[in-house]
Amino acid sequence: MKKSFRIFMLVLMMMLPIYVFGGAPFDTVKMNVGSVLEILGDPKLKGDAGRKVKEQKLEVIADKMFDYIELSKRTLGLNWNKFTQEQRKEFVDLFKMVLKDAYVDKIMAYTNERVNFTKEVSLSETTYEIQSVVVRKSGEVPIFYRAIKRENSWKVYDVIVEGVSLINNYRTQFREILGNNPPETLLETLRKKVGKRQ
Amino acid sequence: MTTILFLVSCLLLECPFLLYAAPVDTDKADTIVFETQSELVKQSEEETPEKTLDRYEDAKIEEASTVLSSKEEDDIEAYEDVTSDEIGVVEEQGIADPFEFLNRGVFHFNDKVYFWVWKPISQGYKYVVPEGIRGIFSSFYENIKAPVRIINNLLQGKPKFAAIELGKFLINSTLGIGGLRNCAKECFGIEGRNADFGQTLGKYGVGFGFYIVLPFLGPSNPRDGVGWLVDWTLRPTTYISTDQWFDLQSVGLYVHEKVNDTSFHIGEYEILKQAAIDPYIAMRDAYVQYRTKLIER
Repeated sequence: MKKSFRIFMLVLMMMLPIYVFGGAPFDTVKMNVGSVLEILGDPKLKGDAGRKVKEQKLEVIADKMFDYIELSKRTLGLNWNKFTQEQRKEFVDLFKMVLKDAYVDKIMAYTNERVNFTKEVSLSETTYEIQSVVVRKSGEVPIFYRAIKRENSWKVYDVIVEGVSLINNYRTQFREILGNNPPETLLETLRKKVGKRQ
Repeated sequence: MTTILFLVSCLLLECPFLLYAAPVDTDKADTIVFETQSELVKQSEEETPEKTLDRYEDAKIEEASTVLSSKEEDDIEAYEDVTSDEIGVVEEQGIADPFEFLNRGVFHFNDKVYFWVWKPISQGYKYVVPEGIRGIFSSFYENIKAPVRIINNLLQGKPKFAAIELGKFLINSTLGIGGLRNCAKECFGIEGRNADFGQTLGKYGVGFGFYIVLPFLGPSNPRDGVGWLVDWTLRPTTYISTDQWFDLQSVGLYVHEKVNDTSFHIGEYEILKQAAIDPYIAMRDAYVQYRTKLIER
């Protein structure tokens, strides 16, 4: 009886962190950012080959961390409804590639900065803002993540750096294009942008 | 009750190491549990790429009925129309930009100035001047701008922060040896509050007006342009030599401050440009968001 109780307690203790990680938005985002930092700081991944592996690993985490569909919807705003289903799917894919191209270098350039997670703020029943600060030699950069509740975890749909929201910034740019052009024009612009890099 | 349910479901689904550990002697249980757990961690690390591949493989029948169908339903649902409530969008008004044509010209000019003059100078400077020294310059320039922060905090009805900024200035000027170190923060953990006159005007209800791009100085608007001029008069460096507002010394110091600052941020403008679909609009929107946030705070 004593034996089994001890095992039971052990198991209980080991379960707790898993349970917490799966639940609170704060911990989910913190854990994802933590694994990003772990990959970036991995001493085994050096040189060009290491860079490739790093990129792949980062993409796996990014796919887990972000909800690209939600991100796309909020970026397009009500313009989303002007897109056909196929166009929506293509947009999500293209936009994901634009973001990846734009930010992978920046993220890879981060080395020994410290990231402190400060607090979470509830925005609505299903959305939270998780606040963090990146401490760099030249000062502190506040980075806030907005996450939405999904079936069994929390997914990020916006990143706010020093008060500038990523999705708002793109929304302004896309609105300019969609103001007097059909969705196809925007898709073509994105295709060109993504193609240029490959 | 929930805990028990959770544990049961956990036993069934997610805890292979428990099944493994259960029949073993208690004395060894600790170590074995840990071993298996670390093995699990290793496995999951190694398997990550394969796991993602797995998702694209043929589905088994029992999987297809449960996992896949719900996934497909999700997908179809995810791509359906949205309402503004769902995505939390308030159709905001665009920013006034009556001189867009001219502004784009100046934006282009500033872009060239950055790549041809600003960036090479900052890179050379970064190469020559060690990081520690550049950090000291940063602290010095930050400290000497204390009057700007103190007065604007006061004007914004935040006397507490004005006092904190005054305290910071006194500590950094003495213990921080004339502002060469941000001792207030490093030694005592004192956090100040940045404040400028454009922000003060904003708090008084002065609106954004319209967007302008100033040569060399970059994005602005009438309110923040006036704010910048007022803050210029509050900078002690303005008064170091002649009685002119803009002379060689004060402007020279300002340029050095900016080069020193840029040496820490080389590559950031490039990222903004690269990430943007239309860099001019991206920059404009970033500026609007940034200033609006500062005023709301």
